[in-house]
Amino acid sequence: MGDAFDLAAGWLQEHLLLPLLYLLGLMQWEDVSYGWALFAVYGAVQVAITFAVCMPLERWRPVERWPDTRAVTVDVLYTVISRVGVLPLFTFVLFYHAQVALNGFLADHGFVPPTLERLLPFLLDQPVLTFIIYAIILDCADYWRHRLSHMFRWWWALHSLHHAQRQMTFWSDDRNHVLDDLIAALWFGAIALAIGVPPLQFPLLVLLLRFLESLSHANARVWFGTAGERLLISPRFHRAHHGLLAAGQRSCNYGAVLPWWDMLFGTADFGRDYVATGDPTGEEALASGSYFAQQWAGLRRFAAAFARAGRSPIG
Amino acid sequence: MQIPRAVGLALWLLLLSALPAAASGLAFIINSGGASISLVDMSSLKEMGRIPLLREPHHCALSPDGKSLLVGDTVGNEMLFFDPLTAALQKRMPVPDPYQLGFSPNGKFLVVNGLARNQVDVYNAASMQLLKRFPIASMPSHLDYAPDSSRVFVSLQGSDSMVAIDLNRLTVAWTAKVGKTPAGVLWHNGKVLVADMGTDYVAVVDPADGHVTERIHTGKGAHNLFVSPDHKVIWVNNRVGGTTTSLDASTLAPIRSYAIAGGPDDIAFAPDGKLWITRRFAEKVAVLDPKTGEYETVDVGRSPHGLFLSPKGIAAASVAAR
Ligand SMILES: [Zn+2]
Ligand SMILES: [Zn+2]
Repeated sequence: MGDAFDLAAGWLQEHLLLPLLYLLGLMQWEDVSYGWALFAVYGAVQVAITFAVCMPLERWRPVERWPDTRAVTVDVLYTVISRVGVLPLFTFVLFYHAQVALNGFLADHGFVPPTLERLLPFLLDQPVLTFIIYAIILDCADYWRHRLSHMFRWWWALHSLHHAQRQMTFWSDDRNHVLDDLIAALWFGAIALAIGVPPLQFPLLVLLLRFLESLSHANARVWFGTAGERLLISPRFHRAHHGLLAAGQRSCNYGAVLPWWDMLFGTADFGRDYVATGDPTGEEALASGSYFAQQWAGLRRFAAAFARAGRSPIG
Repeated sequence: MQIPRAVGLALWLLLLSALPAAASGLAFIINSGGASISLVDMSSLKEMGRIPLLREPHHCALSPDGKSLLVGDTVGNEMLFFDPLTAALQKRMPVPDPYQLGFSPNGKFLVVNGLARNQVDVYNAASMQLLKRFPIASMPSHLDYAPDSSRVFVSLQGSDSMVAIDLNRLTVAWTAKVGKTPAGVLWHNGKVLVADMGTDYVAVVDPADGHVTERIHTGKGAHNLFVSPDHKVIWVNNRVGGTTTSLDASTLAPIRSYAIAGGPDDIAFAPDGKLWITRRFAEKVAVLDPKTGEYETVDVGRSPHGLFLSPKGIAAASVAAR
């Protein structure tokens, strides 16, 4: 199956991107454009599969029914921008030179970024196992990033955009402020320097993880059973995190794919049953505004939170 | 891929005397996107096994003694050493961002280009000791040497230039504008040829000062170029045009153009006269018969880039069983 997607990306590269780069005099980026083509094709497949599975689920066992679903449309836009790679491409271009300078600087000082395989040599012939271990570590790191984004007032000003949605669906996963996405990219970059980049040759596994993240936002009465809930994050579990009472600094269920970190660090709540979502403390523009209205409101609140933090010692 | 010329020639003569007309042996195809090496049986054109690497390998070079095939894993920051006859792993060594690599003709130097960190590293080939690191912007990609090993020429894909490094003094001899997006580099008859990916020609450069003396039109996105083992033909892969062009090595006049779709990149020459060409975006290798213009296809992994043919090689049973 992966081969067909790869070849689709290859076709896109050969017949669309290369001629375009050639025309624009940007041929030095041809390797990057192929990477992006792969990302975009797998992203489109992710969206398609998620839609094919989650749409019937939401029809079959909806938690909520809404007379008007206009607020969902903007989440579709968020999903397309991030999964088909407009946003990742933007961050890549923005950080390319900084990254090259940093790589060069580190190499000059004798630092070769490690990989798990070099630390644990038994992994050398086990790329799939290595990928899974990286995925577990990165999921833990993401738990802490998410938890911190609720703790700091300036960060919450950005992340509250994700929570503002009262009509939460499987489209809501990528609903984030661009600055929040940027911080996430830097967070990931810092971890990559410490433990290396995970093996990226398993786009189907990445697809599965991203599918689970989307599914966890679905407007569907779906849970994995008492034991299953403690293995993987279900729509029921993540909905509790999006609950009206959980918005803000004292929340629960911060995990993305694995509930283990919530269980380990005392933030798991398996008791809440399909609660209503949204952030009553936020402003209306974050919930029902257009894409730009939401981004602007987030930025404004971010700046205000910073100004406040400057005046009082407690962030 | 850069085989030191003396070793390449010796190997070639050896093969001419020993081999039957049909190719047999072992091909190493480096899948940059799949982070693996495909081992291909050269006679059946079937992939026999895949060696998993760390992250993103691109190119390889045969050591001057012919006993090790060095494969650079860029994102994995690792150099791997393989037995070119059996594909057995000899050792692994941390090396930052080894993109293109090549040994000098006299076997004394190994130059490693770090495309993603704007650096060119010169190593002592025997000890693998780093002699000097040159910070050079931007995107140092391909390289070739003067036959007396006094200089290495590196194309800067992210700028419009090429740099010449004096290997005896370990200094930059010159940096010169040679085109739009310089890629493949080849020393040929006292000149340096540079394929220009941003245009449709190969620039002929004076190795003394980097002055462009002539431009040979080959095809859109001229990316990489190689000289045939008999030194009679120069082969140019045109990335955007999807063609491979042959040039008369003595006059540089175009001979013929072959349609090779899927982003043709590196070339290796088989003893039977066929060309093995990696097709980056098709996940395939084309085995081209230049006489007929027909090619056979080998299925490999994602984004095959560098390759190496080991006509006497036989993959060990353990590798083939993977
Ligand atoms: Zn949250
Ligand atoms: Zn969420």
